[in-house]
Amino acid sequence: MSWLAVAKKDFKDSLRARTIWAISAVFILLSVVIAYIYGSFPEEMANGAATGEGLVFFLASNITLFVSLTALVIAYKSVAGERESGSLKILLSLPHTRRDVLIGKIVGRASVLAIPVVIALAIGGAVGSALIGDVAVQALAALLAVSLFFTFAYVSVIVGLSAMTGSTTRASILTIGFFVLFEFLWGIISIGIVFVSNGFNLPQEAAAYPDWIFVVNQVPPSGAYTTFLYALVPSRTGSAAEIDAFYGTPWIGAVVLLFWLVVPAVIGYWRFSKADL
Amino acid sequence: MAAIDVSGVIKQFGDVTALQNLDLTVEEGEVFGFLGPNGAGKSTTIDILLDHVRPTAGSARVFGMDAHDQTVAVRELTGVLPEGYGTLGQMKGRTHVEFALEAKGARGDPDALLDRVGLDGVGHRQATDYSKGMKQRLMLAMALAGEPDLLILDEPTTGLDPNGARTMRKIVQEEADRGATVFFSSHILEQVEAVCDRVGILNQGHLAAVDTIDGLREAAGATGQVRVTMEVVPEELVGTIEGLDGVTSVSIADSTLTAGCENRAKGEIVHRCYQSGTIENVETSEASLEDLFVSYTGGGA
Repeated sequence: MSWLAVAKKDFKDSLRARTIWAISAVFILLSVVIAYIYGSFPEEMANGAATGEGLVFFLASNITLFVSLTALVIAYKSVAGERESGSLKILLSLPHTRRDVLIGKIVGRASVLAIPVVIALAIGGAVGSALIGDVAVQALAALLAVSLFFTFAYVSVIVGLSAMTGSTTRASILTIGFFVLFEFLWGIISIGIVFVSNGFNLPQEAAAYPDWIFVVNQVPPSGAYTTFLYALVPSRTGSAAEIDAFYGTPWIGAVVLLFWLVVPAVIGYWRFSKADL
Repeated sequence: MAAIDVSGVIKQFGDVTALQNLDLTVEEGEVFGFLGPNGAGKSTTIDILLDHVRPTAGSARVFGMDAHDQTVAVRELTGVLPEGYGTLGQMKGRTHVEFALEAKGARGDPDALLDRVGLDGVGHRQATDYSKGMKQRLMLAMALAGEPDLLILDEPTTGLDPNGARTMRKIVQEEADRGATVFFSSHILEQVEAVCDRVGILNQGHLAAVDTIDGLREAAGATGQVRVTMEVVPEELVGTIEGLDGVTSVSIADSTLTAGCENRAKGEIVHRCYQSGTIENVETSEASLEDLFVSYTGGGA
């Protein structure tokens, strides 16, 4: 359980960083504002029918940008930076394995990021529910669970990328590249794929898009997050319901998040375990 | 069983060869000084013992355990003072020591360890606010946690003031008395000379010499010097002293005669000077290990 000691150290260490609390304060405030707007202007926001479940999806929209951006800020240097400064040698002079260090860093930093997520959802959920007069307990619990899963997966990706190199510069290129590719460019890439597969021509209407493009759209962690949320709030249907194929289920979001939780970290570990510090 | 057994280790970083076929054995309970100019490969050797770096060829064992395959077991028995002046992170000094004790699975009083390295009363402060010397003392306290069988000290005195260097020597002695093996790397000869049983001189990635301090001194050839200051040094005295048994060189500067010689010739030299004039002062010295060091390392020190 040596990773636990590393995680505790890393957790306390990251708690002291001021940047994360500055971003978190903005995020929590934003969540409350969003909940307030949704609860106070049901006409404009939900065609007059604001519900507790509607609130959940409204709050979820705020999570993805905050978690992805903050994970990037607090974790891109987690391994590469300590390799560069040499402080990793101090840690690894003690009887910890490199695997313990990597797992400890993922758990420690994800736990720090989980704090503002829980606070924002708690306050936003309470304010919104009070204004609407409807508490969707199950949907709120699902939102919390999926958001925490997303947080751990995103931090795992960034720490995994950071473990692939001994230079902070390269770590920042890798992690920012990941962020830009999957958070900004993926929509364009998705359309590009349809364009190419359709004989360099875009289909005239949305219904003519191939079913499998749904899977492509689930690749970014943020897309998978929203889709996964639909799986746990069955009264709402996402785009998965329109697809008649074995992959036409919102649970694909859980599979994709699991992929992001595990695969980059495993590759990062593989590189890290072979590296000269 | 040897505490450290490095055999045929080669380490290349790209085109640069850091270690060339290094063989090195440190016996249990020994205080071993690992000397060499900066860039000789001392830190690389230590990095290989701790599995921070993997050898290109050859093997390294610590207490019979492979430094790579059994690295956690090795590090459980080893206390390390790393090179440089880092800290683990944004933690208090005392928390650092607690963290080391926890990692070693050892019971121990963090405050007692802080006392021992001279950090009493500052354990509650952030380690990142410590001075260089204090950080180095803190790393020493972490290295001592859990009474390790092997202490690896990488350039342990570079950031310390004379007082701190004295504390360091005292602690090395105490650890050796407890039965620990101490592996002490340095580019400063005096530090090693004061505490070490044996010394290895590393130069350009291979071991240029291994011996006791006295052994190295003997190997240095001219084993000492005597300097006699006289009112007037008579010209003919040079020839007389040059002819004495055990004298290797004689020179005169101002009114001081300097003779390089074996220790047994020193009395006769002073006697001859006394016979031929008025002596104002006599100084004698051992052969300088510095000279020896320079001769082994080509002046790189």
